[in-house]
Amino acid sequence: MFFQQVINGLSVGGIYALMAVGYSLIYSLLNFTNFAHSITVTIGAFATFYFLTELFENIYAGILFAIVVAGILAILIQILGYSVLLKKNAQRIYLLITGLGISTMCDNLVIISFTSRFRVYPVNFSTKAINVFGATFGTIDLIILAVSAVALILVQLFIKKSRAGLAIRGASFSLETASIMGINTQKLIMIVFLIAGALAGLAGALLGAKYTAYPALGTNMANKAFISSVVGGLGSITGAVIGALILGIGEVLISGYLSSAMRDIFSYTLLVIILFVKPSGLMGVDIGDRA
Amino acid sequence: MLRVENLSFSYGKIQAVRDVSFEVKKGEIMAIIGSNGAGKSSLLKCIAGLLKPQTGQIYMEGEALEAVAYKTVEKGICLIPEGRWIFSNLTVEENLILGGYTSKAVSQGIERSYDMFPRLGERRGQRAGTLSGGEQQMLAIARGLMSNPKVLLLDEPSLGLAPLIVNDIMKIIQDTNKAGVSVLLVEQNARKALGIAHHACVLKQGTIVKEGRGAELASDESILAEYLGKDSKLLKAGAGK
Repeated sequence: MFFQQVINGLSVGGIYALMAVGYSLIYSLLNFTNFAHSITVTIGAFATFYFLTELFENIYAGILFAIVVAGILAILIQILGYSVLLKKNAQRIYLLITGLGISTMCDNLVIISFTSRFRVYPVNFSTKAINVFGATFGTIDLIILAVSAVALILVQLFIKKSRAGLAIRGASFSLETASIMGINTQKLIMIVFLIAGALAGLAGALLGAKYTAYPALGTNMANKAFISSVVGGLGSITGAVIGALILGIGEVLISGYLSSAMRDIFSYTLLVIILFVKPSGLMGVDIGDRA
Repeated sequence: MLRVENLSFSYGKIQAVRDVSFEVKKGEIMAIIGSNGAGKSSLLKCIAGLLKPQTGQIYMEGEALEAVAYKTVEKGICLIPEGRWIFSNLTVEENLILGGYTSKAVSQGIERSYDMFPRLGERRGQRAGTLSGGEQQMLAIARGLMSNPKVLLLDEPSLGLAPLIVNDIMKIIQDTNKAGVSVLLVEQNARKALGIAHHACVLKQGTIVKEGRGAELASDESILAEYLGKDSKLLKAGAGK
């Protein structure tokens, strides 16, 4: 039973991590939290749903479609919402407000266009349970866990090993310094939004498979991802993943052994405790390092 | 080679650079000296494309430059900013790789950097933030040279360094210049700058008030006294040693 709960927690945590990494990437590069992130999650779920109902009944193709749509949406949000403010070097608070505005507006646009009904994918991963050493696991949880892990490892490899990844790490220290190295920082910002959006789209597609697709899905889940990235240390990718796994496993265990009503209390209490004890988060980057 | 024409820049109402024109010729070291707040850094940032001047134009080999930093690097101009601005979260080698972002010969560049500064080679895997001030300045110069610039813009390279290290840095600037890179050097440490400059001008409150050969200006005590503010007395004392 405990082992099952842990696997379930890891699959929830994996999805949180996909979204939390997006918050962290954008925060580390631009020093603000992209509150419009949640809409790319919702759109990921809806894109998968409509792909499956209208186009082609293959869940993997549906997920790929969601990744592409959400990635494009994230870039549109950056171009239409943030780029003008970033070019003017506006204070970060204006970017936060813009993000909140985009999020609220898009949530309502989704309700207007698709109604607030809950939608179940017409095809899904196998619901069969797998028996290992007497414990039963849902196939869907194992697949989600595997897909999330692969996506996160790919992103980590990209950031740690590629030339563009090195540029992102440098630019996260200072965009201005990166620009005098001959790095086109505008392009770098686009790449980061694309990665964040694609991961969010994947998260949305998986959430739609695990639960259902509905307009508030993104906001509900991205909140948890935001807590994860704060717990892990805003701006740190490893931190975001660790925070997300702690949150995922903690939530599942709390709902399993205590009550599901305690789940959200756990998440927010964890947030408050971290902010009191170590405000920079578990893997937080010390600002003093930047001098 | 690098020509600045009637350049003016202001931060809101505060005018930092006023109608400045000059040219850095191919193969020379040109120094701009002036006290704190004379507009030296703003001028360099305008050339590097970090700041957009309100009026005036900058030409590189006859071609007008856009005020976009990464394009300026592609044109062969490289700024080594005041305070070094090294990526302290990255290793020494990663800093160099980013310095060569536009270059096709990154590994040769890294080798050349380690030949030039063996100390950097010893510390290639170390986080750049853990280097001493002098080593950071060496890294900043090596990183700047990674892009194989035609013109090197140096903003206060002696700032905060011990006198012996300042001499090393000046020597490195001269060597770089002899290897064919034109240098625009901005300094508060006027004696050191004029000591190696072929040609120099004095910037005061955003305008060029004096121009001449480096040696000429260096021998003109009135310039040191008048344009370099209170520090000039200290400079004289330092020069007497």
